Amino acid sequence: MDISPSEISPKKHLRSLFITVVFCALVALFLTSVKFGGETFLENLTVSLCIGISTFLCVFTVRHLLKPTTPLMQFIAIVIAMTIGSITGSLVGLVIIGVRPSLFIIREYAFFIHIVLIGLLFGSIIIYYFFSRERIRSTEAQMQEEKIRRLTSEKKAVETNLKLLQAQIEPHFLFNTLSNILSLLDTDLNKGKSMLMDLIHYLRTSLAKTREEATTLGQEMEMIKAYLNIFKVRMEGRLRYRIDVPKSFENIPFPPMLVQPLVENAIRHGIEPKIEGGEVNILAKKNGDVISVEIADTGTGLYEDGDMGFGISNVRERLQSLYGDKGRLILEENHPSGLKAIIEVPYGTDQGDHRR
Amino acid sequence: MEQTKAIIADDEDQLRRYLKSQLSEVWSDLIICGEARNGKEALELIDQCRPEIAFLDIRMPGLSGLEVAKEIAGSCWVVFVTAYDQYAVEAFEHEAIDYLLKPVTPERLEKTVKRLKDQIISSQKPPQEIAEIVERLMTSLPKRQAPTYLQFVRVQKGDGVRLIPVEEVYYFKASDKYTMVITKEGESLIRKPIKELADELDPQQFWRIHRGTIVNVQCVDQVSRSVTGRGVVRFKGRPESLAVSRQYIHLFKQM
Repeated sequence: MDISPSEISPKKHLRSLFITVVFCALVALFLTSVKFGGETFLENLTVSLCIGISTFLCVFTVRHLLKPTTPLMQFIAIVIAMTIGSITGSLVGLVIIGVRPSLFIIREYAFFIHIVLIGLLFGSIIIYYFFSRERIRSTEAQMQEEKIRRLTSEKKAVETNLKLLQAQIEPHFLFNTLSNILSLLDTDLNKGKSMLMDLIHYLRTSLAKTREEATTLGQEMEMIKAYLNIFKVRMEGRLRYRIDVPKSFENIPFPPMLVQPLVENAIRHGIEPKIEGGEVNILAKKNGDVISVEIADTGTGLYEDGDMGFGISNVRERLQSLYGDKGRLILEENHPSGLKAIIEVPYGTDQGDHRR
Repeated sequence: MEQTKAIIADDEDQLRRYLKSQLSEVWSDLIICGEARNGKEALELIDQCRPEIAFLDIRMPGLSGLEVAKEIAGSCWVVFVTAYDQYAVEAFEHEAIDYLLKPVTPERLEKTVKRLKDQIISSQKPPQEIAEIVERLMTSLPKRQAPTYLQFVRVQKGDGVRLIPVEEVYYFKASDKYTMVITKEGESLIRKPIKELADELDPQQFWRIHRGTIVNVQCVDQVSRSVTGRGVVRFKGRPESLAVSRQYIHLFKQM
């Protein structure tokens, strides 16, 4: 039971005091009806109010001035505070209704103890009521916070997906490619057709893949090939590429859309801005239980326009969420020029166990 | 009347060819006096053959179409060509600058051609103001702004040079004339004194906590006071703790 004061607001305490007073009146009414204690309701009400208010003040003092820290300390502090509150309240109440203290303490101590015990009993009830109310409130606040956290992360996931989608069908890419196809339909029908087929292949696989958990390295490379083919036609002699993925790797499961953003970066920030163009070389390797895919370009290097793009941070985030610390993205300078991005993901029977 | 001359600048072969063939259909006596594959070639070409009109693709290697337009402002009429540049297109609309969207449709091209013909026949001068408009546009384009702060540190690893994004660095520690970079994967040395590094890092994210230490605030787990009253920084996922010197402790007051 956590009874540390959550927030101190005078209004809250006044309300608690009011509830205490009402509760005391009900107790007095009950005791009078069962013919316990004083002869009139007023006498019972006086004693009851004294016990109630005194207990309230004692518990209040303990909680807000002493501030016990551990649950056990809190419990002990409350029990002591209640006992003192109940005894003091009984004494004060009896004195007010005109009973001489010497009389009941010496001669009728049994009756006095009854009063104190009844005070403790009802005191426990109301304190229990207050604390459970507080606990419900803090639980509600926690749930609220949890809900906000969940919604925020859901929002982030949706945003990432949207960005990913936009990155795949980047309008600049799409319209430039379509313009090329349109032109080729006049000048080189076969080339135009094959470019259209590449575009269709790229769009279909990349759009379907965002929803899939995993694809294979082979499928992923097929898509990259279509993507690079499109650029090869568009950039004419300025782009050369090589994909070096052993046939035996083709069925290895691999997360979708990890390679594409890096290839896009290599072209868009590395090779396109370079007048003489360059090469993109993709190489897959297996080293123990790690599969690595290397995307090297001979472009401008640490992109001069400073725009590392959404691609790199997105790939990093996705590796982190898929594999934790076992998946990583390494960036290196390429020789003699350009950038090399290496994706490393675990491979083996426990693949997928790292998903969070 | 002398025949009107134009140049086409686009880094994609097919797109130059396509625009040329479309132009020949709607403006048969227009002479395309040259084609450029990048911004630099476009400038040279304009200088050589002095065309009345320049069709400039916005995204080109070397100099962009916008940069070319700025250089040649006043010497010829400029029509920008773009596949998709939202910001630029909005600005063109706003400033009544001529532009074409790829793929270029015959209707739109006819409109542009008509306007160009009118301007040339009425022997107006190509507007000089295009330089200022483009200048304004270029500074407002979000992508054009180079990052002000260091994004990567270069670290020697084996035979190669590894590029480590600064957000992955826990902290930097001075080590003689060089600086030690501490990341999740360990320590590496960079050949740059910490003083120089301090000026290049984003001060929002990287705080100097000691003469020889700069920490990544994102990685800081907690800051506490030791028994002797000195500040101590601890990280998420690293065992060590770093001392905060007295002059920097105020940084953490607002945390």
